[in-house]
Amino acid sequence: MPEALALLSLHGLDAKVIAGGQSLAPMMNMRFAQPAHLVDLNALSELNGVARSGDTLVIGAMTRHHEVATSATVRSACALLAEAAGTIGHYAIRQRGTLGGSLAHADPAAQMPLIASTLGARIEIVGPSGSREVPACEFLISVMTTDLAPDEIVRAVHFPCMRQGERHAFEAFSRRHGDFAIAACAVTVMLADNAFAALRIGLGGVGDVPLVLDELAATCIGEAADAGAIARIGDAAAAAIDPHDHPDISIGYRRDLVRTLTMRALERAIRGGTQNT
Amino acid sequence: MSQPEFRYLNKAAPRTEDYRLLTGYGRYLDDIEIPGALHVCFVRSPHAHARIVSIDASDALTMPGVVAVVTGRDLAQWTTPMRVAPPIEGLMPVEIETMPLDIVRFQGDPVACVVAADRYLAEDAAERVQVEFASLPAVTDMWQALEAGAAQVDPMVPGNLVSHQAVSHGDPDAAMKTAFRVVEATFLQQRQTHVPIETRGCAAIWDAGRDHLTFHVGTQVPHPLRTQLAHRLTLSESQVSVISPDVGGSFGQKIALYREELTVAALARHLKRAVRWREDRLENLTAAANSREDFCRTRAAVDEHGTLLALELEMREDFGAYCFFPANYLARVVAMILSGPYRLVNYAYDVKVVLSHKCGNAPMRAPMSMTSWVMEGTLDAIARDLALDPVEVRRRNLIAPEELPYRTATGELLADITPTQTFEAVVAAVDYDGFRARQREARAAGRYLGLGLCNVVEPTTYGSRFYKAAGIPGSGHEACWIRIEPSGVVNASVGLGPSGQGYESAMANAVAEGLGIEPSRVRIHLGHTDVAPYGMGSRGARSGTAGGGALYLCALDARRKVLAIAAGCLELSDAEALRLVDARIERRSGEHWIDTGLTLVDVARRAYMDPTALPQGHTPGLEFHLTYDPPPMTYSNAAHACEIEVDVATGFIKIARYVIAEDCGTLLNPTVVEGQQHGAVAMGLSGALFEHLRYDETGQNLSGSLADYMIATSAELPNLEIIPLHTPSRATAAGIKGMAEGGVMGALGALTNAVNDALAPFGVVAERHPLSPMLLRDLLRETL
Amino acid sequence: MEKTTIFLNVNGSRHEVHCEPRKLLSDALREDCRLTGTHVGCEHGVCGACTVLLDGRPARSCLTYAVQADEAEITTIEAVARNGRLSPLQRALHECHGLQCGFCTPGIVMTFEAYLREHPSPTEAQVREALSGNLCRCTGYQNIVRAILLAAEWMRAESVDVPA
Repeated sequence: MPEALALLSLHGLDAKVIAGGQSLAPMMNMRFAQPAHLVDLNALSELNGVARSGDTLVIGAMTRHHEVATSATVRSACALLAEAAGTIGHYAIRQRGTLGGSLAHADPAAQMPLIASTLGARIEIVGPSGSREVPACEFLISVMTTDLAPDEIVRAVHFPCMRQGERHAFEAFSRRHGDFAIAACAVTVMLADNAFAALRIGLGGVGDVPLVLDELAATCIGEAADAGAIARIGDAAAAAIDPHDHPDISIGYRRDLVRTLTMRALERAIRGGTQNT
Repeated sequence: MSQPEFRYLNKAAPRTEDYRLLTGYGRYLDDIEIPGALHVCFVRSPHAHARIVSIDASDALTMPGVVAVVTGRDLAQWTTPMRVAPPIEGLMPVEIETMPLDIVRFQGDPVACVVAADRYLAEDAAERVQVEFASLPAVTDMWQALEAGAAQVDPMVPGNLVSHQAVSHGDPDAAMKTAFRVVEATFLQQRQTHVPIETRGCAAIWDAGRDHLTFHVGTQVPHPLRTQLAHRLTLSESQVSVISPDVGGSFGQKIALYREELTVAALARHLKRAVRWREDRLENLTAAANSREDFCRTRAAVDEHGTLLALELEMREDFGAYCFFPANYLARVVAMILSGPYRLVNYAYDVKVVLSHKCGNAPMRAPMSMTSWVMEGTLDAIARDLALDPVEVRRRNLIAPEELPYRTATGELLADITPTQTFEAVVAAVDYDGFRARQREARAAGRYLGLGLCNVVEPTTYGSRFYKAAGIPGSGHEACWIRIEPSGVVNASVGLGPSGQGYESAMANAVAEGLGIEPSRVRIHLGHTDVAPYGMGSRGARSGTAGGGALYLCALDARRKVLAIAAGCLELSDAEALRLVDARIERRSGEHWIDTGLTLVDVARRAYMDPTALPQGHTPGLEFHLTYDPPPMTYSNAAHACEIEVDVATGFIKIARYVIAEDCGTLLNPTVVEGQQHGAVAMGLSGALFEHLRYDETGQNLSGSLADYMIATSAELPNLEIIPLHTPSRATAAGIKGMAEGGVMGALGALTNAVNDALAPFGVVAERHPLSPMLLRDLLRETL
Repeated sequence: MEKTTIFLNVNGSRHEVHCEPRKLLSDALREDCRLTGTHVGCEHGVCGACTVLLDGRPARSCLTYAVQADEAEITTIEAVARNGRLSPLQRALHECHGLQCGFCTPGIVMTFEAYLREHPSPTEAQVREALSGNLCRCTGYQNIVRAILLAAEWMRAESVDVPA
């Protein structure tokens, strides 16, 4: 790690970190990105691993998506994260792609930034002057833009563990299996007497960064978690987004999709939050 | 002629070419090791239309490992331009320089070529070639292209209209005036590209001592390519050998002699070094060849029962900037066969093909892919308009078996097709009435199921008489040779160019059947022009009919000589009572056949080693050559049915079931045929759902990677249920009809009709591809 | 760019390779190790034709730099058949006509040699999902899926027969 940091300091903007390479290498092969130096983190085994520490799940930045998706620890401590990780790309991509790499790449439609934002995860960063922690929402600044300085590396991500009785669902929509989502919705729900006792709603693919609907969620606490509420939340979520227009994907379409995905995620979470078919 | 029972044809068998492909020992172009070969990389225009002001390669030339940088001017000295000017009414002649000298016509047009020690260095150097362009206005759609004042793509094609044919048969006008109803429908097929998993590439070796070019290239047409290459390099055909190795898919993209391949060949000769090229995927998607992008509008005059009284077709195709093929060819086939299996006398079409500042078109598996979608979509439009059942509308108009052979409005003769049988088979297989009941129940529960039907009549094989009658230069024949070796094994060759269709197996079956030996004794040699006879290659779906047919007939010739020699060995006066079965000569005795103990090996030995003992009139050896010109046109037919469900909230289409009934005559190898059916339908569904080669309004190509240009994965495609209903052709060798493109045609129509059937309650119709969720949802948003 | 020396352990053999750090593993395998069974279809990481096993796990060799694989264990398609004997998956692909042009085939074999070891009883849906990372333009996937399921069946039967 100190060696990696030293190399980054030495080469500054001429160097880029390579983790799984599933996002960076295609860009380099097409000569869109041409860093003079690559600092390869694959040999840093200390960046690998999943550990539960009380109410927090700490996952090393170089942990592969495949491990996040299949680890018994992750599945029991933070099932939403495991479920979302299992939908990333394809089987072979998940063998190499990493949690830290996905967060640092900050694609607006990617799963890990969405889950990290929705759950309020904290990103642990290490640099020449030491380490710091940043909430995911502050780490992700814009499209492919994060709070990470050129001489810093993501070391780990701290996720809050699921609470007792917490349900969850992840709904994403893409035209083909494994593509980046056109839109995605992640929810966690706790119920008390069939009313919302706790609620988190996060949306991906709808703007420059994931959109976490804290204010909307707060207004639902105490409300009956019925079909009417779900429909109202879906409408509110659709209205809350401010996406870019796209030649193939109209703003109207994205709103429709957000409404549908939010409703379906809530329905599934309320029913019991099992794996999406 | 009744069909004899075949011993090897129509019998499924695993392929013989698999071992090397499964174990990583296939030999594709880029696998060929050529010590000392130089690598090229092309510098390409970033603009859709521009004047080349200057090219400065001085910086690139200083880089280590860089050997040369050449431009259009250099190539103009080493090669001749390509002239595409068949004498066809309504078709403008065009000429294409080997590399543009002054004007680039699409984003990706090559302007310079760097030659270096390896591909990485060549790409580095290509980045350092400084090209100054003066940007020009671009035309980027087929409507804009024909407007007055539109930028001109090709100075030889004023107004950008490269081909225009308007023909009328019967009296459609009169029918339109008196019809009960005239139903109009439109269809817009998006621009696509072939996406073989193996990109283009080639390697040229110039032998200065022999003054000879050896050109390795994956191609569907080894000999025609060789002729072209020699012509463009001003070499004699004796100075060029083309060798096509294993090819990782082509689908029509690897037919023309493109400018890159010609450049590599010219460089090898000029530099007296081996030179090679491997195309990258970005180039393949943006600068190899595009396809499709057609608009059709039909007007159908009908009576109150949905009987088709007249049909008018208006069609327009965006051909891109360069014509590597005659521009009328693709669109013309659509107009010619549009009515498919339906009765039609009064028919008019007006087909325009326009140029634009995009990569030029090449035929892509089923260049006439749109045909069945248009015809079947028209029939469904008629059904909707008149509130009739779409199955009944088809039954009313389908050519009945007793009407065959049927002469279509355009003069095509339909014979030996079975559209009624294939149609009724799928209607029964999908339990049509049962589906309608399920559909009603589902609608009541807010779920939207749809069923789409599509009948296909697929022109597979063009004979020379077709070309002659159409005024198109060229031949439809195929050529082959068969040699029975002294040891009794058989080597054979045919002028086809395989790209994955299992010819080594299928063609061996044709030889085996015709001769009377096991296929395992036959080895097929393909792709090397020093070895293979001059054939027209693989295109359309002609390989089975023309190639397999030639080998079968040639093998029959071989059998006749073998039996004549056998008769001599057995001291019989003739071979009347003899037959060859699995390389053994049998003799008829009353009702039975008895093994004579004589084998093919014995006959071969006599033919090669003891020719004075041969019967009168027979020459030494057992080597045969034959050319076969199939009938002017051969058709196969199929019916497709597709059941889907649309998620109206998201617009997502889920394919629940896909059934095909197909008649493609005699099958060289049913296993191979089934694979072709799967692949064709898959490409059609992929095209209907996902593919879209997109240019923005300034001509910038937005589909430069496989993340942007989407093709279907295994998660999107259904399992096909195939009902084989094969009946032999009475006009072709061995009754083969051919197939492999009809699946694309059927899939486009069946899927679109299914979508429109599902959306019928909303009164909306999808008239364009791809059928994206966004398209469907946008159609629905107004009504929901 | 200056070349460096690395060692690639490929299919049990050690190869000394001199290459630039930017050379892709796919190119190093094909050119320096002369193992051309690994095919390059896109260099974007989308088509999966270049898939090899890197320390036993499937990896797209076009997205890996050769230097990253220094001293790693690499398995390519050439190692799958033992002494000319096809693996169950290779045999199944042959019997089910799960290949046509063959260009995508090595990538599929490598992906599923690993996948089936990890998932011995997949459903068709699971196979289709796992296969979705390999693009095929010829077959429409149907026979490939059938072959994978058949191979899984054979492999389960073989492992049952093996004495404890």
